[in-house]
Amino acid sequence: MANTELKSDNLFEMMKIHLATDAGKELTKKIGLVYQINIAPKKIGFDEVSYVVDLKKGEVTKGKYEGGKPDAIFSFKDDDFIKVATGKMHPQIAFMRGAMKIKGSLSAAQKFTPDIFPKPAKL
Amino acid sequence: MSMRELVTGGAACAVSGSSSSSSNPLGALANALIGSSSKTQERLKEIPNAAAATSHTQFYDDPVAALPGSELDHPFLQSNAQGSDFIRGFRTAHDNGLADAWDEIQRQPHLDRVYNAAPAPPIQPTLDGPPQRVLSSFLHSFVDSSRSGIPLHPTPLPLLGLSQGDKQCIRDRSSIMARHFFADKSEEFINSQVNALLSSLEIDSDSHAKGPMPGRFRELEDYWNESQGILKPGAHAADGWVTEFSQHRAQHGDPDAWAHSFEQQHGAGGWASEFEQNSKFLQFVSKMSRGELIIDDNQVKPASGSWATEYQQQFNGGASWADEFVHDEVSHGPAQWVNEFATEREQEPVDDQWVNEFSKLHVDDWAEEFGRQVGEGALGDSSSDNWATAYDEFLNEQVASKERSDASTGVYVFSDMNPYVGHPNPLKEGQELFRKGLLSEAVLALEAEVMKNPENAEGWRLLGITHAENDDDQQAIAAMMRAQEADPTNLEVLLALGVSHTNELEQAAALKYLYGWLRHHPKYGTLALPELVDSLYYADVARLFNEAAQMSPEDADVHVVLGVLYNLSREYDKAIASFKTALKLQPNDYSLWNKLGATQANSVQSADAILAYQQALDLKPNYVRAWANMGISYANQGMYEDSIRYYVRALAMNPKADNAWQYLRISLR
Repeated sequence: MANTELKSDNLFEMMKIHLATDAGKELTKKIGLVYQINIAPKKIGFDEVSYVVDLKKGEVTKGKYEGGKPDAIFSFKDDDFIKVATGKMHPQIAFMRGAMKIKGSLSAAQKFTPDIFPKPAKL
Repeated sequence: MSMRELVTGGAACAVSGSSSSSSNPLGALANALIGSSSKTQERLKEIPNAAAATSHTQFYDDPVAALPGSELDHPFLQSNAQGSDFIRGFRTAHDNGLADAWDEIQRQPHLDRVYNAAPAPPIQPTLDGPPQRVLSSFLHSFVDSSRSGIPLHPTPLPLLGLSQGDKQCIRDRSSIMARHFFADKSEEFINSQVNALLSSLEIDSDSHAKGPMPGRFRELEDYWNESQGILKPGAHAADGWVTEFSQHRAQHGDPDAWAHSFEQQHGAGGWASEFEQNSKFLQFVSKMSRGELIIDDNQVKPASGSWATEYQQQFNGGASWADEFVHDEVSHGPAQWVNEFATEREQEPVDDQWVNEFSKLHVDDWAEEFGRQVGEGALGDSSSDNWATAYDEFLNEQVASKERSDASTGVYVFSDMNPYVGHPNPLKEGQELFRKGLLSEAVLALEAEVMKNPENAEGWRLLGITHAENDDDQQAIAAMMRAQEADPTNLEVLLALGVSHTNELEQAAALKYLYGWLRHHPKYGTLALPELVDSLYYADVARLFNEAAQMSPEDADVHVVLGVLYNLSREYDKAIASFKTALKLQPNDYSLWNKLGATQANSVQSADAILAYQQALDLKPNYVRAWANMGISYANQGMYEDSIRYYVRALAMNPKADNAWQYLRISLR
């Protein structure tokens, strides 16, 4: 595995599969927004990898969002994203501490809660 | 003249009580060192010359014996101290000319206070390191200097590469900050601080020719003009200073402009975090929240800043709620607690103590009650409490952060109040408890064992496995690392380390340990190629393991390791196949069932996962990890109510399972 693997990649993979299930379809109905999430390995803004979590169509793609503007754009560090997505860190706390940066519609951002992400089970 | 007035605290300067009262020591110093007051002026005017001429040291030699050439950082409470500091000031003043001299003079009034308060040496900012850090440490020392009352030494900094915009920002920001920090000190002090900061950073605005001096430097100018007549060699340095000062135009403007420009440059986050700790700053913040200063954009941060302090104080006020609860427990039933919990979430300082209290109380009853209550919807929607809860968790995090940081760096954290310490044979006890499935108890017994015998590999290993089964990977890793130190070739330890790191999504580390497993295996060790150790590529390792599997297909362990490897690379189908093979060979291995289930869960085959977990739990009913995983699978399917039941079961068995707590919170929302 190359060292440029982000821990968050796992979560996005799971999200991708998750969205295909019924529970995932529920999400698209409930939220119905497009998020772009930029993950940086060490420091926000450097070497970012973008993921688009499209909760309108129900898919996750790597790379920036083509075809318009995402409703909200988040920026995280790798570790911080894991913490927020697994519920270890509350998104509001993350925002206050600057661990999470938001651009775009704040109301869309507020819908971005940890529970939309499936949790990894432990071996 | 103006100088003397300043020295003796004349009315010309609007100094506050502290300054003027302590100006006497300066007068005393001046008199002591210099003799009669008529000479004072002359001598003090000579002071700027010190920049050019170091011969001045002789001047101070008499009263201050051991001085020449030495940087005296250690304070001694005599007039010597003041003199020595004076000297030191001039040494540093050497580089930056009059601004510094002015600083030192200003500093004298504070020396008294400083030295009486058992000072530390003035904060020396780190002058090396990346510009960012230099800058920030320098700015910190600027901030700190406000606290200790020691004026900032203007020190030559390496080129920081500050852009014009940065410089402007820093200049504006620092002048405003300085005004707030030093609100109780004199105008001159503020200016000198700011100038010291700025001159060190070599900040000057657009290059003007010498213009009229800004008003606040009036006195300085007077003094300067006076001394002009006497100055000789020091003139060139002094000129530079004059230019510098004239160029300095502190544009306070309106706070808004400053705020805006700063906001753009640095973002609200950086600003807030940098000054977060400074209490005077928080006053500033509260001023802002009252509307005296307005920042565009994000208002959330400032408001929450003061709320944060308030809550912090409240939290630090004590865990009285926890105590209260313990006493009341007898009369209240668990059910009432649930209601109380729901209504009082705003105020509870949840901390570890509460958790510990809970583990001693009637946990089972609580768990069932709670589960039932939630099922009946007694808790209601607490989304309005979100903010409070959020802050709750933040404080939790702070309280637990030390512990977590220890664990995350691989340092094992022992439990407090271990009843097994002093037990004759804690290892045996631990093994018994483990077998019986009382995982938390087993942890305590095993900890007692390894406290007695730190080199006991078996003790550490079992401890690690127990933690993993208790769903605490951090501690598991820490314990396993110790086990590995004690016994580097133990295969089970290596495998367990690989598994835990996989769970923490630390792929490189996991790969290292799984590869280590291969190398140390008596049968497959030959397959391992030594050159791979440094640059482990997943593909190579996988290949080797496949070879090993072909070598002996009956060996379940190889398949297990393969399964974990495939989990790393997210090739879940292959992983599932491997685990199934292993299970055919060892059908009663509960942890294998859990692994299978987890793999299935991670590939979002939640229904299958649940079946696998069920198998694991049939084999080992107290398998905390399996309970937690069950909860996860239900939650991922959106069946939150069911998931809660399982999380609660897991927590009933191990209240320290942080993961489970977090997942529970999510499910409760």
